[in-house]
Amino acid sequence: MTIDQLLVYFFGACALLGGVLMLVARHPMRVALALISCMLSLAGIYAMLGVHVVAVFQVLIYVGAVMVFMVYVIMLLDVRDPSFVRRYSRMLLPGVVLGALLAGALGISAIRLGAPVIQPGAGAAPSYLVQPFSVEFLREYWLHFELTSVLLVAAVVAAIAIIRSGRRSDG
Amino acid sequence: MTAPDFAISLVYIAYALAVLLTFGAILTWVERKQAAIMSDRIGANRAYVRIPFTQVKLIWLGLFHGMADGLKLLLKEDFKPLAYDKLAYALGPWLAIVPVLLVFAVVPFGGTLDPGRLFPSLAEWFGGRTYPMQIAPIDAGILIVFAFSGITIIGAMLAGWSSANKFSLLGALRAGSQLISYELVMGLTVLGIVLIFGTVNLGTIVERQSGTVLGFLPAWGIVYQPFAAVLFLIAGIAENKRIPFDLPEAESELISGYFTEYSAMKQGVFMLSEFIEIAVIGALFVTLFFGGYNLPWMNDTGFVFPGGHAVPLSHGWVVVLQLLTFLGKVFLLCSFQILVRWTLPRFRWDQLLRFAWKFLLPLAIANLVVTAVALWAQQA
Repeated sequence: MTIDQLLVYFFGACALLGGVLMLVARHPMRVALALISCMLSLAGIYAMLGVHVVAVFQVLIYVGAVMVFMVYVIMLLDVRDPSFVRRYSRMLLPGVVLGALLAGALGISAIRLGAPVIQPGAGAAPSYLVQPFSVEFLREYWLHFELTSVLLVAAVVAAIAIIRSGRRSDG
Repeated sequence: MTAPDFAISLVYIAYALAVLLTFGAILTWVERKQAAIMSDRIGANRAYVRIPFTQVKLIWLGLFHGMADGLKLLLKEDFKPLAYDKLAYALGPWLAIVPVLLVFAVVPFGGTLDPGRLFPSLAEWFGGRTYPMQIAPIDAGILIVFAFSGITIIGAMLAGWSSANKFSLLGALRAGSQLISYELVMGLTVLGIVLIFGTVNLGTIVERQSGTVLGFLPAWGIVYQPFAAVLFLIAGIAENKRIPFDLPEAESELISGYFTEYSAMKQGVFMLSEFIEIAVIGALFVTLFFGGYNLPWMNDTGFVFPGGHAVPLSHGWVVVLQLLTFLGKVFLLCSFQILVRWTLPRFRWDQLLRFAWKFLLPLAIANLVVTAVALWAQQA
């Protein structure tokens, strides 16, 4: 086993650990930290596979932008809020079942696929350099990218709806 | 990765760490001494080393102050507050200093190194391979700089939040909003340079700055983008949270802001990261706008002056000159940042944010638009 493969497994284990901690941790700031470590480990995996652009955007967008705002908001929460005491919500069982199904499906497809597509430590493939990547991205995938923003707007609307309904029940 | 590659990488990493930590230590002294000179004081002359059994005191312009500081910080009691979150409290200093050091990994601090030519006895081992003097010659250079500098924001916010102190929390809030605002400005100003040189790879950007424009001017970024250079430096000083942008740690308002509750070397780490960041911002500015390791009219073989007069240099001299040029330029930029720090008064909080969003951001966008139109007109 080369050092590159070893690092991929290491980052993979870190990402898994971060993901589990994110689900188990109770305090929002701990959850955020677990999520940050999970994302940094994912970036490490991408970098080891030679896809530096994806790795950089993983850190730049998810850690540098999204998580910075999350930490900013969590900073303003009341740390003694009673809702931090409960670890799981009522959706624990359906969540576990769906998670297991997803993991199973991914596992089966990974076994069917056989050999890994990209060898770790092979260095950056030419099609993954910044320029070819961005040209391809804006030529082929611009529609998918724009559709994602529609999805985000839907999510924002849903979030507002949830806050509204919660307030109404509070009286 | 073969053994020679690995050895070269280790040498580069050791060099970069040595340079950054030395800059961090030296700049504490430069800050004091320059401030003293600027305000016509004698300054920084109290710490000394006495040669044992004699009355000879070595003062050396106060250079030992840095050593005294370091000893004091290391030996002080490490007082810990009753924090909300011990983990976040412990992580704060780490997240403040590690990304700052990591940014330097993509900064080229010299041209191409040919170790076989430098040490003929090792030529066989290296097999004629050459290495760019840069720890990680990665294609996505500038993007990595911004990715890592985003993490320092989380460090400042975690430190302030977990200290269980209202002054710290206020400092953290200020740090968060200030860094987010100025990072945007910084990114937009750099885009102009990216458009002109057509790449985000810092190594290539420096290589493209080694020629001349109009026959005699060195083809540095500041010649193409003088406006962006000023904006970048302003945003850089703001990112570093130093006067006139030191609202997150404004000592007359917030004691020392987000790291009020840190003591001993943990506080020292915050200070050190601030001083190292001066050097890192200097290095980035030099890389993007001041031609990196290039002296005017110099390339990998020697000097070629505008009149056509050429002075060839051996590879060893070129490497040494490039390393020294880079360090010298970075030092000049650091000195300039300290000059700014001891010249201007602090902003008020609302002025600081208004300055970022209503003044710098429109200017940065205007600069980007003008650059894009000019390039498009040239190509058309």
